[in-house]
Order: sequence, then C-alpha cells, then structure tokens
Amino acid sequence: MKTVVIDPITRLEGHGKISIFLDDQGNVENAYLQIPELRGFERFCQGRRAEDMPQITSRICGVCPVAHHMASTKALDDAFNVEPSSAAKKIRELMYCGYIIYDHILHFYFLGGPDFVVGPEAPPEKRNIFGVIEKAGVEVGKEVIKHRAYGQKITAIIGGKATHPVCGLPGGVSKPISEEERREIERMVESCVDFAKFSLKLFDEIVLNNKSYVDMILSDPFTLKTYNMGLVDEKNRVNFYDGMTRVTDQNGEEFLKFSGREYGEHVAEHVEEWSYVKFPYLKKVGWKGFTDGKSSGIYRVGPLGRLNAAEGMATPLADKEYKRFYETLGGKPVNSTLAFHWARLIELLYASERALELVKDPEITSSKIRNPVGEPGEGVGVVEAARGTLIHHYKLDKDGLVEKANLIVATTNNAGAINMSIRDAAKGVIKKGVVSDGLLNKVEMAFRAYDPCFACASHTLPGGLALKVDVYDSNRNLLKSVERL
Amino acid sequence: MRKTIVVGVGNPILGDDGVGIHVVRRLRGRVKNRGVFFEEALTGGMNLVDLILGYDKAVVVDAVVGEEKGLVKRFTLSDFETVHSSNPHGMSFLEAVDLAKKMGENRLPSEIVVVGITISEASSFKEELSREVAEAVPGAVEMVLSELRK
Repeated sequence: MKTVVIDPITRLEGHGKISIFLDDQGNVENAYLQIPELRGFERFCQGRRAEDMPQITSRICGVCPVAHHMASTKALDDAFNVEPSSAAKKIRELMYCGYIIYDHILHFYFLGGPDFVVGPEAPPEKRNIFGVIEKAGVEVGKEVIKHRAYGQKITAIIGGKATHPVCGLPGGVSKPISEEERREIERMVESCVDFAKFSLKLFDEIVLNNKSYVDMILSDPFTLKTYNMGLVDEKNRVNFYDGMTRVTDQNGEEFLKFSGREYGEHVAEHVEEWSYVKFPYLKKVGWKGFTDGKSSGIYRVGPLGRLNAAEGMATPLADKEYKRFYETLGGKPVNSTLAFHWARLIELLYASERALELVKDPEITSSKIRNPVGEPGEGVGVVEAARGTLIHHYKLDKDGLVEKANLIVATTNNAGAINMSIRDAAKGVIKKGVVSDGLLNKVEMAFRAYDPCFACASHTLPGGLALKVDVYDSNRNLLKSVERL
Repeated sequence: MRKTIVVGVGNPILGDDGVGIHVVRRLRGRVKNRGVFFEEALTGGMNLVDLILGYDKAVVVDAVVGEEKGLVKRFTLSDFETVHSSNPHGMSFLEAVDLAKKMGENRLPSEIVVVGITISEASSFKEELSREVAEAVPGAVEMVLSELRK
C-alpha cells in the first residue's frame, strides 16, 4: 500500500495532515485527515467563574473568537435561566453579522476563492490574494481589504475590543450602541451590501460563466449526499445567531428539528483510534462508517449545510440569490462540495442585508440591554459559526463556577464529511500512483471548501506554510517526498 | 515625537505560546517614554498589521518554534521565509505587510523588529510558562528595552 501525506495544508495553518492511502495498483483506497489536538481545555475550564467563559472560549480559536464568545454567552443565558432583552439580542446579532462579513470575505478572497479566481491549475504561489489582485485588479484588492476591515470594525465597536469581544453577559450585553456609532455602522454595512453584490457578480463572471469550473463543481468526486444541518428561524430561513437546529435529508425534506438543549438526544460522537477528533453523527440514523446516503448518519454544516437545511433567506436580495443557486445547480439539496463557495457569498449578502435591517431598527440604540439573571444551572448555547454549527454546553455549580464544559465546534461537525470529500477528490485525480502537484491541489480544494480550522489557537512565529507530500510504497517505505512553500 | 509600538503576540491560555504577552506585561510601567505604546495581541496576519499602522517603529514580541527552548533572538522580517504569526484564517504577518505595501498603505512603520523567544510546543491549555521559557522572559524584556533605546 502506498501512502500520500499532505502536510501541512497550504493556507491552513491549523497543522492538519492529510494521509492518502493507495492500494497495490496505486489507486486511492482511503484518505484521512489527522489533527493534532490542543489538550486539557475542559480541565482548564473547571472551577472558573461562569462569566469568564465568553472571554476564555474566545481564545480557543484565532479564527472565530466572536462565534465562541457568542455561543458561550448564549450558554450562560440558558444556564442562568435568563432571556436577554430584545435590544440586547439585536445588538448581539448585529455584531455577529459583522463577524460573518469579515470571515466570509476572508475565506472567499484569501483562502478558497483563489483556486477559482486564479484557477485550480495555477502554480501554488499564485493561488492566494496576490494572485486574485493580479487577476481582478488592485482596485478590487482595495475593496476586499476595506470591507473586511468594516466587518472587523463593527465587531470592535459593539464588542468593545478588536478581534476578541468582551461585551457578552448572561442576560444581555455590557454596553449600548450610541447614535454616532449606529450611524458609522450603517454607513459601513450599506457599503457591505454593495460589495456582497459585487462579489456574487464576480463569482458569476469567473466561475459560473466558465463551463469547465461548473463541470468540476458538479462532478462526482466533489459530490457528497449527506444530511445537512443549520439553525433556522420560525419560517425555516437561515439564521446565524438563534433559532432551532434543523436537519434535512438527501431529498431536501425536514428530518429533524430540535432546540439547543436537545442536541445530546440527536447527535452522538464516533471515535476512531487514529484521530483525536470525534466524528459526530445523527443518532437516529447511526454511524455506518465514512459513507454518504440516507443510511449514514454523517451530516454537513457550514454555508452549504445551512442553505440546504433551510427553506430560504430572510432578506430579499439574498433570498433571490438563494433561489438562483438551486435553479442553477439542479434543485435541492445541492450536494456539490465546491458549491460551499457560492453559498458563502449568498450568506455574505444575507449578513450585510440583515446588518442593515438591524442598524436601522429604532431599538438598536436602546439602553435596555440587560435582564437580571436567575440561579446558576446547566446551559447550552448554539450559534452558526462561519463554518458551521457551534455548540457550547456548561454545567455550573451553585456558586456559578464551571463544573463541566463540552464544546462541539463547527469543523468537528464536518469531520466525517471532510474525510470523505478528501477521499473522493483523491480518487478522481490520483490514478495508478500518478501524483502531481496540480492533482493534489484538487484534494486540497475539496478540503478548503469547508473552511476548516484545527488546533488554531497557537500563535508562534514563523510556523509552517509549507506543503509536504510523502509517498510510501505498499510496505509503507518512503518512496518520494515533495515539499513546497 | 517618534512613536514606537511594542506588541506582545500570543495566546495567554496556551502555555509557552503566550510568552510575548508575558514579556509585554513585564514591560508596562517600566517604560516612561511617552512615545512608546504597548499592546497585547491574540492575533496575527492582517489584524496584527492593523495594530502597528501609524507608528514609526514596531517591536513584535512572539514565540518562535525552535529546536532549543528559551532562547531570545532578534529578527527583521527579511529573516523569515514564511511568517504566519497565527491567524489561520487569513495570511501570514509577512504576507499581510506585503499586501499592505502593495495596496499603497503609507502608515506602515519604517522599522519592524521581531523579538522571538524559542519554544518547543504549545498544545495544552494552561496559563503558566515552562521553566526554560519563563527564564527567557527577562532577557526578552532587556532586548525590547535596548530596541527602545535605539
């Protein structure tokens, strides 16, 4: 058996490692993503004050501190048995929209998008934001940077601090939004709506008008028929901040709908001895290994999972795009892994439009931002992080100290599907032991579509951006080792 | 007045990874020069670039993965082939500096120095530094102070 190892994945600095196992004929047998684990988080949290959790958990991940902060704050609402005031909910959601805006812009223009914009066959050193700017122009680059900064600025204004917010409290938020701040946010989100529209147009021009890209999106190696999961509002429309978790099946029909507190009844975690990562699956269906279809409990989260798990978007322009998405890609659900990128841009438009609605809401500057808390107990908080459903579950003692903390992060929810996507993409592009850089990039494309993040809390310089490929023969002897920066 | 920013980069709940933050916390209060500013950053890439805009000089204090733990080294950006300084979702600090230049950003410091403290791993959540890395903190503090005297 031959083994191909991709380590670490370019432009993904969580130090994941992909191993591709070839059979004696040199064809792909299996592929696994191995992830080093950051240890001791649960123990670290034990005995800490509940109200510190939104700050502590926001430090787990350098990518989505706002998502952790918010899931944690919502878990505290639940644990202290308090419903936040209406204004506080709106303020939180507005901040959350800012986070989705900058995160989705980053992924599309810096991480996933370059594969399309610059092209999957382009040399690796061009498949980045610099390549995008070369192709789309410096002016586009400036717009990208400006609007990413707007998203950051919105979270900083409301969150009280750039990158790592400190505003979330059980029952509300710590400070109101002033009229001056409101006006500043309004100006920025108006511009974000236009930029989201522009981004969708760019996607049309570069991707959808290119038949070979569309064929690739719809090709078998990039298709996975799993269940889909995401938060929805009362009309089953996508919601990032709150709602019920909805699961749809391979026909796009509702399969499950449950509240945060009920997640343990519906989601179980499968353990594989080769990975620290647990693989969540739907209890009702069961774990059937790394396989898709109705009989396998594996599901997908993130932009594509959310769109598939919903029946529309709650804002007019995004809803129009939502309909066009399904019309173009052959109806619901869309199972093409690479369609995550398009779904992400539709969500960018939704987050921008929703932010504009919220910032124009008269209640957004209200000073009624907190309700008094009850006695400490157990609580679950669920939000949609940019890359999928994020669950925080705490058990507090009578003094409000943390007894137990359990987190299911977005990338973990996608772990089963990611492994399958890597395997299938590898099957489509590695044949009879022939492995070239261009081919391996397609494997990475399958992986990057999910925008995964692993073990990403560390911050050391300089860190590895290199791509290392080790090829082993059937006896696991190293045949070939390729490295690139 | 010439303005310098000292940024401690790291994750204070991830053991040795947070050494840059420890160094900056030691420095606060020791420096009376009103042109010197301190910042703690649990972030890298473009967010880190945002923090240093508008200063004449930036001193970035960060953990560096090395073979031997607890060494203190001075780098300039040209010493790094790839610098990612954490933000896994965006780009490296070096790339972010390049991008800012390319976009015509004129508020970048004319001098960017990295004071690196070598660590061997950071994969457990804890607030304490390992003995070797903790012992390197005074040396890193001195190196930053000497940068501020330049």
